[in-house]
Amino acid sequence: MTGLVGRGVERVDGRAKVTGAARYAADNAVNGVLHGALVMSTVARGEITELDTSAALASPGVVAVYTHENMLPLTVPPDFPYPKRFIPLQDTRIHHNGQPVAYVVAETLEQAQEAATLVRVRYRVAPPTALLADALDEAFLPRDFRGRPNETVRGDAAAALERAEVRVEQEYTSPMQHHNPIEPHTTTAVWDGDSLTLYESAQGVVLTRMVVAQAFAKYVLEQDIRVVSPYLGGGFGAKGPTWSHTLLTAAAARLARGPVKLVLTRAQMYTMNGHRAEYRRGLRLGATRQGRLTAIVDTSTAQLTRTEESIYNTSNSTLHLYACPNVHVRQLGVRLDLPTSSYMRSPETTAHFGLETALDELSYEVGLDPVELRVRNHLPAGPPASKYLLECYRMGAKAFGWARRDPRPGVTRVGDEYVGWGMATETHTYNAIPSFAELTIDEAGRATLRVASQEIGTGTYTVLTQVVADGLGMPLDHVTTLLGDTAFPAAAISAGSSTMPSVVGPVSTAARNARDAVVAIAVADPRSPLHGVPAADVVAEHGQLFVRGDRRRRDSYRDVVRRHGQAVVVNGSGPNTPGHSFGAVFVEVRVRPRLGAVRVSRVVAAYDPGRVLNHRTAHGQVIGGVTWGIGFALMEHTVVDRNTARVVNPTLSTYLVPVCADTPSVESYFVDRPDPASKPALGARGFGETPGTGVPAAISNAIFHATGRRLRDVPFTQDKLL
Amino acid sequence: MRAFGYTVAESPADAVRIAAGTPNSAFVAGGTDLLNLMRDGAQSHDHLVDLNHLDLARIDMDATTLRIGALARMRQVAEHPEVRREFPVLSQALLASASPQVRVMAAIGGNLLQRTRCGYFRDAGSACNKRVPGSGCPAISGHNRGHAILGGSEHCIATHPSDLAVALTALDATVHLLGPDGGRAVPVADFHLLPGSTPQRETVLRQGELITRVDVPRTRAATRSRYLKLRDRASFEFAVVSVAAALRLDGRTVGDVRLAFGGVGTRPWRDTGVEAALRGRELTEAAVSAAGRVLVRDAVPRDGNGFKVELVQRALVSVLGELGGVR
Repeated sequence: MTGLVGRGVERVDGRAKVTGAARYAADNAVNGVLHGALVMSTVARGEITELDTSAALASPGVVAVYTHENMLPLTVPPDFPYPKRFIPLQDTRIHHNGQPVAYVVAETLEQAQEAATLVRVRYRVAPPTALLADALDEAFLPRDFRGRPNETVRGDAAAALERAEVRVEQEYTSPMQHHNPIEPHTTTAVWDGDSLTLYESAQGVVLTRMVVAQAFAKYVLEQDIRVVSPYLGGGFGAKGPTWSHTLLTAAAARLARGPVKLVLTRAQMYTMNGHRAEYRRGLRLGATRQGRLTAIVDTSTAQLTRTEESIYNTSNSTLHLYACPNVHVRQLGVRLDLPTSSYMRSPETTAHFGLETALDELSYEVGLDPVELRVRNHLPAGPPASKYLLECYRMGAKAFGWARRDPRPGVTRVGDEYVGWGMATETHTYNAIPSFAELTIDEAGRATLRVASQEIGTGTYTVLTQVVADGLGMPLDHVTTLLGDTAFPAAAISAGSSTMPSVVGPVSTAARNARDAVVAIAVADPRSPLHGVPAADVVAEHGQLFVRGDRRRRDSYRDVVRRHGQAVVVNGSGPNTPGHSFGAVFVEVRVRPRLGAVRVSRVVAAYDPGRVLNHRTAHGQVIGGVTWGIGFALMEHTVVDRNTARVVNPTLSTYLVPVCADTPSVESYFVDRPDPASKPALGARGFGETPGTGVPAAISNAIFHATGRRLRDVPFTQDKLL
Repeated sequence: MRAFGYTVAESPADAVRIAAGTPNSAFVAGGTDLLNLMRDGAQSHDHLVDLNHLDLARIDMDATTLRIGALARMRQVAEHPEVRREFPVLSQALLASASPQVRVMAAIGGNLLQRTRCGYFRDAGSACNKRVPGSGCPAISGHNRGHAILGGSEHCIATHPSDLAVALTALDATVHLLGPDGGRAVPVADFHLLPGSTPQRETVLRQGELITRVDVPRTRAATRSRYLKLRDRASFEFAVVSVAAALRLDGRTVGDVRLAFGGVGTRPWRDTGVEAALRGRELTEAAVSAAGRVLVRDAVPRDGNGFKVELVQRALVSVLGELGGVR
């Protein structure tokens, strides 16, 4: 081992990204490619009665205009990961505003866009329902989603609440939000006879291939579909499931008999690829006067649609984070005339915001420090898993200076700003999905890893290269990692914090297998200086193979494989189990109460993600997560017009996300101890979605500490503090 | 976006002649707003006349007046040493606008002509009286948190988004225009129109008329001036409420005060009654609060923007407090 795993190795793909050498999905130059443009509905509910494409068809360069009248008939994929549950352009029904009603194909992008403005559509319109507030009395308990029930009962929460010495009962609300990756969704579909290649912005190439195969069951076999997605300009969940633009582009390319490229506009990304649903959450906590939780009743209501009823923002932390004997979780929903929601950036943040704010309220009710309250309700992990959350509280509190906090609200002032300190626990579930890897050692002594995982901006190329280099005993720059192609061994979707826990096991196994295979060849080869040495006595470092204890007796990967006469190719697998990562975040805010202005001035966070594979990329995840947490708390919200159910702010100039000036530098600390429950992944857990989950509550709690005003409705814009 | 023609103008007169003679044409300089509007289908032109080669980018100051060429870029004006010294409010308003990248591109004339950020206006799939006269105003019964409480009509309640225009309004600037029939000068306070029943008409500009220059008179008050901008994020965002203030104190008495407000009106908002309520009085929080009440006496709050009635008054107290040392 050369000890690369754990080090803050720089991005191996950094140079390619900053020089433009990295080819993102829409960068692929495909000969003779045609360009697509979508025409979107301007009503939310009803039916197309008339669709006139004649002007568009007569427009220069237009090859075809596809509508429900001439689109290829497709099969609706049965379930997740095709959340939409209907395919546009298959019939006249309108399910939401901003639904595709026509697909223009032209020789240039500009021609396609211009022709799209010339399609005339008439509708029979029914009045839509757009807001949760307008349909709360229609809330219902949706059926199980992905094998999980939407109601969970532990103990007798109602009775325990009745008996509780202290109660907190409040409502917490959050609006619709959108992922907003900088790279828009894009598909380029290339048919070659009955085989299909898709250059795709996808967080999961394998699942995308599966969904496309389901939709095109009449036309193509799954094995004849290739999905390529080597780089992603951000995904945040928006590119996890497969969406209709991918299916429509593949269909358009088949009908047009030529490759077709589609890039969604920013506005289209507000209705085409999911969002975080609007939520209302009633939370009732019961506790002893000493602050021990005796009951939690968590009843949430989410926006659903009339075509599906999936709950994506589950109340996992209510169920699993704290020691509470009586818990009742109900995840309700109401059907609205809106696009389908989906997973978005740490989906559990939605529920966790309520829980961690309510705990802060409880800490004031019982007169306990918010950290101490959480320590008293700590739930140790069940074996074999580890959980160093108490260590996170200690590390974070110490680095922040929490012990100096005067708990009284509204007493600390600097200039015309009130200062507030708040904290929250951070946690998220991670998934582990069966994955496979292939590793080749060639005659130059270089290693190439192939795995159908993805680089979604988080550092997959870098960390897997470290794992391979360490496993082989090879310098980092002798290892090339190739990702994002269904031609490679199948691997997990890069969503649900699943990449590392799923893929590191197969990759490190492949590295170990490759090393063993090369050593076996060497010791069996009379031409090798290592001939006859017991394999267990061979050590690999820097691409060299030594005899333990006698460094002069050596061979190298290059020489062994060269003598062998052909590359050594091995595979690896290494199934893992899902789990949770943990942390604690401490936030300082400055508030000008008279103007309602809030800024976050300091963030310190400490985490237990198991073993840290790369401190630099892990810290990067923290910066990203905390920044999104600030956005969630202070500004992000998608506005839907109550009368038309149309998104009013589908642009980055009106849907606000934090800029640098909103975001202080973030200090992060890691316990960095391997989790035995994630042994295949070298003790590393899934971590990506954990940072930020507690930030909205920590900010709310800090605002309360600064001002004595308790905010329970994100985002905390100026009007709410006046 | 639709195909359009394009000509590079060689002189101001050339630009005016082409634009006046070409139906549905528009001038383009930085293009930071226009091109987005055209891409989004919120605005459509058959022809663009490019002004970037015209000699209209100078900034000069003499004993009485600052003269800003219409093609001076936002950054140039914001960083100009004399602007910073003599007109802090102008520099601050510009630096609080947009992003560094936009400020390098965007010209002063275009800044005054930027269109409202109303989401209904910018969405070609929505009704909007400003974009399609007679189609209706969804903001009045819809989402109007960012909309005006002053100067609205039953046809339109959209705010004007320019910070610069607010500062220039407070400073009594004059906009110089060149048209097919020659030049004229318009006080900036009269340059933008109230929506009334014709919200599609936003300024006094006639077809082909070009902004060539903005003149700002030097005053003692201007040297003691400030721009306060309240917004939903710290940078690259339009005002929820803003105040441009210039103040001359004679002892504790208000000798001269100029005030204009952004984010609350359908045009950069100046109300001389507010200034009259302060002039000649001692600058106290009570006096400023009374002046603030004058500002909002005719305010028409809607479902989402009622908070602005209170916020703009508090912003006024805050900015005059800072300028006048009142706490």
